[in-house]
Amino acid sequence: MSAEYLLELLCEEIPANALPGARAELRASFDAELAGAALAGASVSVYSTVRRLAVHVAGLPALQPDREEEVTGPSVKAAFTADGSPTPAATGFAKGQGVGVDALRVVKGAKGDVIAATKLLPGRPVPEVLAEITARVVRSLHFPKTMRWGKGEHVFVRPLHNILALFGSGKLTTLVPVELFGVVASTGTFGHRVMAPARVELEGAAGFPAYAERLRAAGVEIDPEARRTALEAAAHRLATEVGCEIRPDPELLAELVELVEHPGVLRGEIAERFLQLPEEVLVTTLRHHQKCLVLTRAGKVAPYFLAVCDRASDPQGLIRRGNEWVAGARLTDAAFFFEHDRKEPLAARRPALENVLVHQKLGTFARKSELIAGLAAELAATAGTAVDGDALRRACELAKADLVTAMVGEFAELQGVVGGIYARLDGEPEAVWQAVYDQYTPAGLDGALPRGPVAAVVGVADRLDTLAGLFAAGEVPSGSKDPFALRRAALAVVRICAETPLACDLQAAAAAAVTRRGGDEAATTALREFVRERVRHYLTAAASVKPEVADAVLAARWGVVPDDAARARALEAVRGEEVFASLAVAFKRVRNMVAKGGSGRFAAELLREKAERELLAAVQKAEKEVQRSAGRGDHAAGLRALAGLAAPLDAFFTDVLVICDDEGLRAARLALLARVEALFLRLADVSRLSAQ
Amino acid sequence: MNLQELILSLSRFWSEQGCVIQQPYDIEVGAGTMHPETFLRVLGPEPYRVAYVQPSRRPADARFGENPFRFGKHLQMQVILKPSPGDVQQLYLASLAALGIDPELHDVRFEEDNWESPTLGAWGVGWQVLLDGMEITQFTYFQQAGGIELKPIAAEITYGLERIAMFLQRKDDGFKMVWGGGLEYGQIRHQDEVELSRYAFDLADVEMLRRHFEDWEREAGRCLEPEEPLVVPALEAALKMSHLFNLMDARGAVAVTERVALIGRVRKIAVRCARAYVEQRERLGFPLGRVNGNGKTNGAPAAGKAPKGGSR
Repeated sequence: MSAEYLLELLCEEIPANALPGARAELRASFDAELAGAALAGASVSVYSTVRRLAVHVAGLPALQPDREEEVTGPSVKAAFTADGSPTPAATGFAKGQGVGVDALRVVKGAKGDVIAATKLLPGRPVPEVLAEITARVVRSLHFPKTMRWGKGEHVFVRPLHNILALFGSGKLTTLVPVELFGVVASTGTFGHRVMAPARVELEGAAGFPAYAERLRAAGVEIDPEARRTALEAAAHRLATEVGCEIRPDPELLAELVELVEHPGVLRGEIAERFLQLPEEVLVTTLRHHQKCLVLTRAGKVAPYFLAVCDRASDPQGLIRRGNEWVAGARLTDAAFFFEHDRKEPLAARRPALENVLVHQKLGTFARKSELIAGLAAELAATAGTAVDGDALRRACELAKADLVTAMVGEFAELQGVVGGIYARLDGEPEAVWQAVYDQYTPAGLDGALPRGPVAAVVGVADRLDTLAGLFAAGEVPSGSKDPFALRRAALAVVRICAETPLACDLQAAAAAAVTRRGGDEAATTALREFVRERVRHYLTAAASVKPEVADAVLAARWGVVPDDAARARALEAVRGEEVFASLAVAFKRVRNMVAKGGSGRFAAELLREKAERELLAAVQKAEKEVQRSAGRGDHAAGLRALAGLAAPLDAFFTDVLVICDDEGLRAARLALLARVEALFLRLADVSRLSAQ
Repeated sequence: MNLQELILSLSRFWSEQGCVIQQPYDIEVGAGTMHPETFLRVLGPEPYRVAYVQPSRRPADARFGENPFRFGKHLQMQVILKPSPGDVQQLYLASLAALGIDPELHDVRFEEDNWESPTLGAWGVGWQVLLDGMEITQFTYFQQAGGIELKPIAAEITYGLERIAMFLQRKDDGFKMVWGGGLEYGQIRHQDEVELSRYAFDLADVEMLRRHFEDWEREAGRCLEPEEPLVVPALEAALKMSHLFNLMDARGAVAVTERVALIGRVRKIAVRCARAYVEQRERLGFPLGRVNGNGKTNGAPAAGKAPKGGSR
């Protein structure tokens, strides 16, 4: 019958954000250490509460299996004399490893042959091995932040108070002698700090289930998954009781699971008058400050909230009333900010932006607003979709005004949203307030897009201006350093251009933005390259094309993202067809030839070989087809037309000597190839596709 | 429980835990941490336990007495336990019990909240303590002060007194909270909140503040010049600089670009004070003993006064 190991570290409250990582690392480290100790058959499970980290290892033997280890010794030259008899170096080495001289072997070392012995490592009692593994694993755990306490001699995530470390088969009978941070392991632990603070003795307990059960009786649920299930069930019940639904918030729920030992939930009420606050403010107040789940009824926020509590019951209702009082206080505070802000229209705050810096090198938000307005107008002119110029101008004027409101001062994450709400209440047109509201969306590859063309243009102009300003000032992200999240900003620009009707050319837009920020040609080039990388990322991540396909398409030309994406998807779709295999090779030859020979005057009348006349005819036909198919957005047809050039190109390269002595003829042939190249590059540089 | 009973109860409780009961510092400070009884005493190897109320001034938080939850000056109860004892959380829970807050009937949670003061070159790790969802205390294990790594480590417990009193009295308006002596907080403090707000936001003479900032910086330098520097006068100069900075900031006279530099100038003095203090105590032979040697902690809790509130 196999044995098991139970370890629990009882600490002061561990930060919620440290726990998932600590569990993963504990599991991985124990797995690796057990494998290294020839105990790989064991299975590791990891648990935690806000005060505990626990590890359970099942399937252990009582005794570690014997292992063999090869130990290398001195060089053969030093170990044996000329006649083959062992020197003292050899006998000493053999003795040290516990083997006879005749058991020594010769193996290849880094600097020539050396002698080696196979040493037998006799298995040790598993509890001893576990004690060493535990100390190593726990000491090497990584946390976002560590601390010292008391005399200041130990470093861990929070002060450690108790170690439970028991081993046994069927019953946990053997203390595993772990010592960490001045705490010596024992055979027991303690229950919930308030509900059941007494010691819980576990010597002789029937394994992990008994431990989990006794902790449960002492107010502690050790398994985060069980806590999640319990919290969800209780929350659902409390919501249903008042005919409500829970506003989904998986991120908050995941955090709540980590914040407690006992999965308690309570429902509180808020005064109806708070429902008059903008819903976003109400939700953020409850969620951000109080970590409360919000309830809705028929899609509207209902006057209730759910809060976790680390208690099984609330006998006098004091916890509920306390939470209600705090939520009311917070909402009163938010209402105060709201009323304060609403004393004057959003537009009246614009002068204050003269005093707020975006960044040392970017000047004030007042200046930024003007730059955005100019750039937005320029983008709108080439957007390929109708943009209301008046609304755009107004949206740019108002976009940053909420940064000086009391509400955004309190809830920074509501920037944009607050401005949008205030603009709406001020009676600004829908296109205007939505543009202010949505200026920071999307945050990444997921999430909603800005509503309407005005919002899309404002979002692109704002981000491009920030990018251009920082690139012009030499603040370019490198490696992992991207303090202003410029990659995310550029990706948002790409996504807006790809997924809204906005079809501006990003190369031209980048140049325009840099020029407005007084940047030079080098800054424009750097910014274009940076944006191009994000387009590539977008194509591979969101449009699901292979990196080499994205490269082939972008190498031909790039900038109008919907077109880039359409070409990439078409190429991805047709590249598997047989004819494309040889096309990549043929086009590579075309490109090399043009790059080396340059191009000359195209003189069709000089072309006289059959193969080159046929190639010319095929090119003319393909040009028409590519043109036609582009017109109806069918790039796949265009690509197939290019594929039709594979055979004529092969024949051309076989039969025709391009670099011939006749200068005029050479120029004409090179010019023909240049025409082929130009045609391909209207769609993709297929030479970048590896032949498959 | 009214505000003054709250202060008396906490003072008595921590007195019984062997703390010196100190008085508020008589210079404007932004937090109880700036009081030399915290900022200096947490440095070096000497054990110390102290508790005091500190009126804390945050001019930028002032709201003309119009916001029922925001004050430009509020009261903190500051407790320092050095070294941090193993049962410090139990002691804290017991202090709540002394306020009539029975941990068995309430939900007390410790949620991560780390603390940093760029002005003091100090940071620590700890929690905000939530009582039924209300943040009532900042709990910090000091890791560094005045740029010096600390050893031993002190635990700092900072109670927000207005918040706790409002909570205990279930008052939605801080100015309606009962202070004692038959009066409400607002009857005693409302007018000075109004006036201090007007001063900080509208009236303060920025040029004068800036001039004094520089005057006190020079004065601090003079205090630190002698072979045996005048530590407390230098620190007091730094505290004045810090308050002058806060006033300039509230008045909107500190450009974003300038901010870091001004804070850095205060920190520079705080760091020099911290070093000078440790050297001074060493010269004096660490009169209060050493935690890691054979020093004693002032006033270990008297027998029979073990706090209640759970064993762990």
